[in-house]
Amino acid sequence: MNLVLPSLGFGIITASTLLPAAVGFTLQFSATGVLNIAFGAQMTFAAFIAYVCTQAGLSIWLAMAAAAVCGALASALLNRFLLTPFARRGTTFFGMVVVTIALALLVEYAVELIWGPLPVSYPLTAPGLVHVGPMSFTHSQLVVLAIGVVFAIGTHALLRYTRAGKAIRAVADNRDLARSSGISAQRITDLAWLVSGLMGGAAGVMLGISLSSVSYTMGDTFLLEIVAAAVLGGVGQVYGAMLGALVIGVLLQESAIVLGGAYAPISAFAVLILVLLIRPTGILAGAAKAKGVS
Amino acid sequence: MDYYLLTVCIYVVVGIIACWGLNLQFGETGVLNFAAVLFVAVGAYTASLFSLGHPTPASYQQYFWGTSLPWPLPWLAAGVAGGALGLLVGLLVLRRLRGDYQAMVLLVVSTMGTYLVSADPGLLNGSIGLASIPAPFKSELHTGQVGYELFYLGLSVVTALIIFEALRRINASPLGRVLRAVRENEQAAEAVGHNVAATKLLVMVVGGAVAALAGAIEVQFIGAWAPAGWTYPETFGLFAAVIVGGRGNLGGVAVGAFLVQGLFLEGTVLLPDFGNPDVIGAVQWMSLATLILLFLWFRPQGVIPERQRKFREGQAGPLRGLLPAQAFARVGRGQQGA
Repeated sequence: MNLVLPSLGFGIITASTLLPAAVGFTLQFSATGVLNIAFGAQMTFAAFIAYVCTQAGLSIWLAMAAAAVCGALASALLNRFLLTPFARRGTTFFGMVVVTIALALLVEYAVELIWGPLPVSYPLTAPGLVHVGPMSFTHSQLVVLAIGVVFAIGTHALLRYTRAGKAIRAVADNRDLARSSGISAQRITDLAWLVSGLMGGAAGVMLGISLSSVSYTMGDTFLLEIVAAAVLGGVGQVYGAMLGALVIGVLLQESAIVLGGAYAPISAFAVLILVLLIRPTGILAGAAKAKGVS
Repeated sequence: MDYYLLTVCIYVVVGIIACWGLNLQFGETGVLNFAAVLFVAVGAYTASLFSLGHPTPASYQQYFWGTSLPWPLPWLAAGVAGGALGLLVGLLVLRRLRGDYQAMVLLVVSTMGTYLVSADPGLLNGSIGLASIPAPFKSELHTGQVGYELFYLGLSVVTALIIFEALRRINASPLGRVLRAVRENEQAAEAVGHNVAATKLLVMVVGGAVAALAGAIEVQFIGAWAPAGWTYPETFGLFAAVIVGGRGNLGGVAVGAFLVQGLFLEGTVLLPDFGNPDVIGAVQWMSLATLILLFLWFRPQGVIPERQRKFREGQAGPLRGLLPAQAFARVGRGQQGA
C-alpha cells in the first residue's frame, strides 16, 4: 500500500482539528459534569462567525481568532444564563443532557435560518504544496497542524503550570474538596466553559478549512468523532483526549484508503468499541470517576 | 384533509409505541439508550425484508435477502430482531461500561449503523433506501385509500393496546420495582442482591423489541425506509417525548409522544403555508427545542408525572423481598432532588 504513508499526513491534519475539539469537550465535561451535546453546534456557529469575518475582508487566521473568542464568550454566556440556572433547579444528569440537546437544535437551526442550508467556503490563498517525505501538505494544512500542536502544548501548560489550570484539575477531581480548599467552583465552571468554547470555536474553523466547506450540519456530524476521541482516551482525561484524537484522526484517514471512504467512520468507531471492551474506561483511565451518573 | 389527519394519527401511534420502548429503558430503569432510533430502524428493515420477497437481479433495488410472509409475521420478526439487537448491544455496552460511557458509546453505535447501511448498497439498498414495501391486506381489502388508512390505524391501535397492557403489567410486577430500584440507586439495588447488569440487559431486549415493532408498523404503512430517516438526532426526538410527557408514566409518555411526534414533527404541515420548506423545518425543530427547555424548567416531571407509589405497612405481597431497595430508592431520590 503505497498510499498508506501519504494518507498518514491527512490523518495528522484530521487529528490536529480533532485535538482542540476533543480536549475542549472532555475538559469541560470533567470540570462541570455536563455532557455537552451542543458542542458540535457551537463549533458550527463559530465556523460561520469566521465566514462572516472573511466576507468582511479579514484574513482566515484573524477570522479564526475572532471566531474562537466569540465561541468562548457564547459558551460562557450559555453556561451562565442557561445551564447554571438549570443546574441550580436540581436538574439531573439526564436532564442536563437533554437541555444541551435542545440547545444543539436551537443553535444548529438558527444557523440554518441565518446563513441558509447551502454550504459556504472560506477564501483560501492558492495552495502551495510542502513535501515532507512521502507526505505533502498545503500551507493552510500546515497552519492547522501548527495550531493543533499549539493547543496541545497550551492545554498542558494551562493545566500544569497555572493556578487556574490546577484549580480546574482540582474541581474535576473532587468538587467538594476543591471548594473547601477555597477554590470558587462557580468561577472554575465558567472558566472551563470559556476554554472549551475557545477550543471548539477554533476547531470549527479548522474543520471548515480542512473540509473546504462550512455547512450547518457540519458540527453535528463531527461531534461523533469528537465523542469517539474523548471516550477512547478516557472521558474527562485531557491527555487521553489528545491521544484519542490522534488515533481516531489517523484511523479515519488510513481506513479511508484501505477500505474506502464510506467505511472510514465505521472502522474508527469499531476500534473504539474494541478498545473499550478491553479497557472499559478508555486508554488513559487513571482515576476517572463517575460524574453524577447513577 | 381526512387523509392527512389519519396519516398523522398513525405516526402518533407509532411514536407512542417507540417512546414506550424507550420509557422502559430510560424512564423505568435509567438506561440512557442513545441508540433508540437504531432499534426502530432495525424493526423497519426486518419487516421490509420479511414482506418484500426474494430479491431479483432485475429489481431496481438491492437487498441481501428477502421473503414474503403474511401479515403478523413481519411484525413479529421485527420484534425478534429488535430484541436480538438489544441483547447484542447490551452485552457489548452495558456489562462493563460506566453510565456516561454507555450513553456515548450507544450514540456511536447508532451512527455506525447509519454509516454501515449507507456504505454498502448491496446490503439494504444503501442511502437510497428500500421502497415499495407492501402494506398488509392492502390488495385483499377493496376499501380505497381513506378506508385502508382507517383499517391500518385500527390495527396499530390494537397493537399499541396490547403493548400497553404488557408494559403496565411489567411495571406493576415485582420486576417493575426492581427496574425502579436500579434507576434510583444502582449500588443499593446491587447490595440487596439484584443483578443490575442482567436487569439492564432485559430492558434493552424488551424495550428494543417494542421499538422495533414501532418501526415495523411505520414501514409497512409508509412503504419506504432510508438511512436519512433514522440519523442519531431522531433519538433525541424520542427522548424529548418521554421527558415532556413524564418519564416512568405510560400515559404521560403517550401524551408526550402526541405533543412531540404529532403536533411538532408532523403537525406543522397542517399550518398555513408560510415560506419555503427549509424555514418550516428549522422553525419546527427550534420550537421543539424551546418546548423541551420550557418543560424541563417549569415541569421537569412531565405533563403527567410518575405516580408516587405508596405501600401500607404490613401489606405483605407487594413489599416482599424489596423493602431495602425501596427504602434506599427513597433515600437516593431525596438526595438527588428532582
